[in-house]
Amino acid sequence: MSTVTLSAVDTRPAGRRWSSRRLWGAGLLLLLVGFALLVPWLWGADPARQDLGRILSPPGWSEPLGTDHLGRSLLARLAAALRLSLGLALLGVLSAALPGLALGVLAGWRGGWTDRLLVMLADTCLALPGLLLVLLLVAIAPGSFWALYVGIALVLWIEYFRVVRATTAGLVTSPQIQASRLLGFGLAYLFRRHLWPELAPLVLTLAAFGAANAVLAIAALGFVSVGLRPPTAELGLMMTELLPYYHEAPWAILQPIAALFLLVLSLHLLAGREAS
Amino acid sequence: MSPLLQVEELAVAGVGEIVRPTSLDLSAGRAFTILGETGSGKTLLAQAIMGTLPAGLRASGRIRIHGPAVQDWPLAQRRALWGREVAMLPQEPWLALDPTMRVLPQVAEGHRHVRGRSSGQARAAARDDLLALGLEAAAGRLPGQLSGGMAQRVAFAAARAGGAGLLIADEPTKGLDADRRDEVAALLRREVEAGGGLLTITHDIQVARLLGGEVAIMHEGRLVERGPARELLSRPASDYARRLLAADPTAWPSATPAPVGDEVLRVEDLAIARGGRLLFEGLGFTAAAGEVIGVTGPSGCGKSTLGDLCLGLLAPTRGVVQRNPALARLRYQKLYQDPPAAFPPHATLGQSVNDVVARHRLDPALVDTLLRRLRLDPALLARHPRSVSGGELQRLAILRVLLLAPVFLFADEPTSRLDTLTQQETIGLLTELARERGCALLLVSHDRTLVDRVADRRIGIRPESPG
Repeated sequence: MSTVTLSAVDTRPAGRRWSSRRLWGAGLLLLLVGFALLVPWLWGADPARQDLGRILSPPGWSEPLGTDHLGRSLLARLAAALRLSLGLALLGVLSAALPGLALGVLAGWRGGWTDRLLVMLADTCLALPGLLLVLLLVAIAPGSFWALYVGIALVLWIEYFRVVRATTAGLVTSPQIQASRLLGFGLAYLFRRHLWPELAPLVLTLAAFGAANAVLAIAALGFVSVGLRPPTAELGLMMTELLPYYHEAPWAILQPIAALFLLVLSLHLLAGREAS
Repeated sequence: MSPLLQVEELAVAGVGEIVRPTSLDLSAGRAFTILGETGSGKTLLAQAIMGTLPAGLRASGRIRIHGPAVQDWPLAQRRALWGREVAMLPQEPWLALDPTMRVLPQVAEGHRHVRGRSSGQARAAARDDLLALGLEAAAGRLPGQLSGGMAQRVAFAAARAGGAGLLIADEPTKGLDADRRDEVAALLRREVEAGGGLLTITHDIQVARLLGGEVAIMHEGRLVERGPARELLSRPASDYARRLLAADPTAWPSATPAPVGDEVLRVEDLAIARGGRLLFEGLGFTAAAGEVIGVTGPSGCGKSTLGDLCLGLLAPTRGVVQRNPALARLRYQKLYQDPPAAFPPHATLGQSVNDVVARHRLDPALVDTLLRRLRLDPALLARHPRSVSGGELQRLAILRVLLLAPVFLFADEPTSRLDTLTQQETIGLLTELARERGCALLLVSHDRTLVDRVADRRIGIRPESPG
């Protein structure tokens, strides 16, 4: 009797069931993305336009989130900073996940020397402290968007590689793949039917965590003034700029902090899976 | 003789009633064996007696262990009986032993902590136990270095160390080959002869026969028949017991060899070494279309490896494997021991079958024909592998390979995970279809009786001397 109830549950594919925390995460992320994309379209203020006659004005009808120490619209700046963080995180995650996935499958599938060489490469990259690598690249090309992006991607691909490689290596010798090969299926089919369904939840979880880490890294670099340069609107940079005025305008500095907190929280909620 | 165990109207309920009210008595020096298939509720009955039912299940009725009625005792109090009054021999002991602890201290623990002996006395007692079981050489080994039969004997010594009068053995021979199984049964029998009480749960009719004493057959949560082993197992009265006993390979009729066709595989002077150990050498045979060849041998002797060599999945260390060059490689196929492991877990069975049809541009009507031939419900195709029973899934696996009109099929222990009745049906269909469709069947099994009944001839692989 217990088997009957179990099988009734099992007929639903595992990936379709989203826990409530993941739904919260997705909803929060959607709100932030919506805010970042809709503000320039509905409001249309330039995030760099200064108005020294109206510095540090509190939120009101003309400026819903107030202005900063140079009289710039905080609403426009916050939306621009979120667009930048999200875009950079997305780009960083994609360019880390794709090579990580490809090399991981290659190493796990081929084994032998291919595997050993790729593992050595990953270990070499991992031996360099991640943030140091980013700092190094930023020092070579200061203030450059590309240096920041390449640095983050170089650090992040390794975890995808390792997880994908371990899962693939376990699956390659499994009866399910052996059976499909004997039945005459090619590599594309084996990847689509056997590997991807196993890898997808792992890779997507890593991607959400990776995006949160990338957002934090960009903000941290901005905060210590080695990342992007002013007048770019960036969450870490906004915090540094608004820090001296925390007493006169606490609502101003709280905005980039809250945005960063909510963004990272949404990604972590999205990545986390409920313990069964 | 005082009864060691008295069970009155014991029932187990979860969502519905899983074990119907059941009564049994067990005295010292007697064996009671419950025989049944997967899902019959026999393990739950043992767990209810022990007090280890999974969460969500409730037991009712009365259980007396050596006098007091224990069914309402709190868990801590019942736990105090474990090892002292009642001991449980686990399923698959290699999973139940502590993998990081050597054999001798593992057995000595029971003597020291349950019986409260001094550390020196406990070690001496454990050494005596191991000596009596012929395990003295294994005293310093870790469980991972033991064979299945040895691990079961160590688990037996550890379970007995507390001095319990009542031993409950839940599928004590699961995963063991015929020789090891007989060894474990003889060991349990000695325990009974020495005055212990033994309650055994098993699906293996041979084990029930070897243990003697009283046997009860369990089906859908109730004991359908009970009586002395010798009588019940030779002259069952109930319909279900008759079917169950007839499904045992020893009761099968012998197959009549069919005329065979062309040679599809030739193996000459084959040798294979794996992990630096020579598994077998000098093996040669041919397989012809429509022929059923059995392969037997103890576990780890290279039976499955032989099949993989025939399919070209492995390269031989020495020798030749020659498949008929006129036939496509696709017509050399394999069936797996664990049916769910052979299908992509995230696709429905229908998708997996249709993938094969699409890949090789086969006629979709072939699937319907085979479904009928294999007595499978087409509705199963909408399900995922994990939600279909093992027997049905193995028949679906047979369907999937038959789509490619195989000339050679390597069946690697295809029924060792299935119940007796399902095994009979599956093996029957498999050999029937192989003969009917002119496919050579290489049937690997640990069960020599089964192979002798269905195969045209048998290849025995001898075990290499240990070490």
